[in-house]
Amino acid sequence: MGNCFKRATTDDLSLLRGSDSIRETFSNQLGSSPYQEALTVQSISPVYNPSPSVTSLVTQLTEEEQVKIAKRIGLIQHLPTGTYDGSKKARECVICMAEFIVGDAVRYLPCMHTYHMRCIDDWLMRSLTCPSCMEPVDAALLTSYETN
Amino acid sequence: MSEPQSALLLRKQLAELNKNPVEGFSAGLIDDNDIYRWEVLIIGPPDTLYEGGFFKCHLHFPKEYPLRPPKMKFVTEIWHPNIDKNGDVCISILHEPGDDKFGYEKASERWLPVHTVETILISVISMLADPNDESPANVDAAKEWRESYSEFKRKVARCVRKSQEEC
Repeated sequence: MGNCFKRATTDDLSLLRGSDSIRETFSNQLGSSPYQEALTVQSISPVYNPSPSVTSLVTQLTEEEQVKIAKRIGLIQHLPTGTYDGSKKARECVICMAEFIVGDAVRYLPCMHTYHMRCIDDWLMRSLTCPSCMEPVDAALLTSYETN
Repeated sequence: MSEPQSALLLRKQLAELNKNPVEGFSAGLIDDNDIYRWEVLIIGPPDTLYEGGFFKCHLHFPKEYPLRPPKMKFVTEIWHPNIDKNGDVCISILHEPGDDKFGYEKASERWLPVHTVETILISVISMLADPNDESPANVDAAKEWRESYSEFKRKVARCVRKSQEEC
């Protein structure tokens, strides 16, 4: 299977900081912008879901939860991304039920299902399964590593 | 950028269901100004004990829909192993994914963000036809369903009659 790992990998400890896509999703990240006013950073602290039904501010997470979330962000980062160019079979993102528009940021899961990056990243932060075929994304990613 | 994604998605589904109704239920809003609270009328599925009944249910969607599932409640009285005595529906696809404390459900059987009002209702209608007595929400109904089916049938028939009077 083709791989498009464009991003340099980072070590586990720096994952909470180094995630581009998650940063886009949550719009605000620790130390992400040196020009951001301290006040804004405090008032729009990123929100995470250590487990699907629990929503916590980043400041409320236990160390164990932080590690779990960092690992998850790291894993999501390893999934290839791209820009919808209109040539693929997939026409609609089944999460938001909106048609892909040329230029949309999309993410490809190991099972080859494609979603808007925004839609699928939010979901993967809660559950590492493909919403269409229910394939566990982490296991599939490991398999694709081993075969490469 | 006025409406959140969840509201747009629900509005889309409502329009679609109005245009192309699905057999077995009809759907609308409890209050036209609140897209997050739906009222659904389920027609008791043919060839089941619930045949002939009209069951009113409420669906309450969270703002995080479709990342989180809605809650579903029968407003019409109903006797069923997987619907508790308050009317709350207990099926695995309405449970959030994550660590399953009790090990009853596979992640694949639980909530997925591709579920819509239509797929939820199809699951609930199939649950009416085919109760799952492994994880009952109404233990008395489950026990009756297993051990004294004629009594179970009698109670369901009473609910069906009552639902017809209410409609």
